[in-house]
Amino acid sequence: MNTKGLTAVVFVVAAGLSGCYESADVTVHKQGKYMGQKDPLLSQQGAARDESLKKRFQLVQLDR
Amino acid sequence: MARMKFLCDAERCIECNACVTACKNEHEVPWGVNRRRVVVLDDGVPGEKSISVACMHCTDAPCAAVCPVDCFYTTDDGIVLHDKDLCIGCGYCFYACPFGAPQYPQKEAFGVRGKMDKCTFCAGGPPADNSDAEYKKYGRNRIAEGKLPLCAEFCSTKALLGGDGGMVADIYRKRVLKRGGRPQTWGWETAYKAAS
Repeated sequence: MNTKGLTAVVFVVAAGLSGCYESADVTVHKQGKYMGQKDPLLSQQGAARDESLKKRFQLVQLDR
Repeated sequence: MARMKFLCDAERCIECNACVTACKNEHEVPWGVNRRRVVVLDDGVPGEKSISVACMHCTDAPCAAVCPVDCFYTTDDGIVLHDKDLCIGCGYCFYACPFGAPQYPQKEAFGVRGKMDKCTFCAGGPPADNSDAEYKKYGRNRIAEGKLPLCAEFCSTKALLGGDGGMVADIYRKRVLKRGGRPQTWGWETAYKAAS
């Protein structure tokens, strides 16, 4: 067998073996833990915003 | 810290559907999805009652409990939101929700549902507040603007209240006392009518 043929056989065997490889690492995350992007609204929360929403409630949703 | 809650006073709701229209218009909700609906009890019978129903932003939300990709999160003031980038449209939340709040916009072949859509209490989602990306996926973020949900603000009879749970409860308690008793829509007699 010439060098080219040998190289091709080695390449095919290596590619085949790598295709059969299966990682044993399993990604485990804590169930019920939010996995998405962080909402910028969360950092806004505080007493000032609560107060403004309460004022808004009194302004708009009470009986006129 | 306030806990945001909706409450619909069945004695006041006149089934005008203004809350539904306001919600659809404010958030450009796609065809086939209603984040809020008006449900009529004993329709056509004297004494019929109507209530406006959407996501009730449950304290221990069953949708979040069953989500296999954990795309739900709850803000400090109790608003239940979700990340559409993570949602796989499996429909588990739809089956878990007792109010039928989760909706799916796409009806394609092979049961593909698309990303789940539900009421956000007008608080948007994870993208930057009031960005195009947020508006396109979740609608307008009124909470970030210091406003409350438009459905409640639009209600002409003030049947639908949305805001701090304590304030909402105070208003409802006063109304019930003023009416001279508890509203008869709910309760033991309604749920367990005598066989006769």
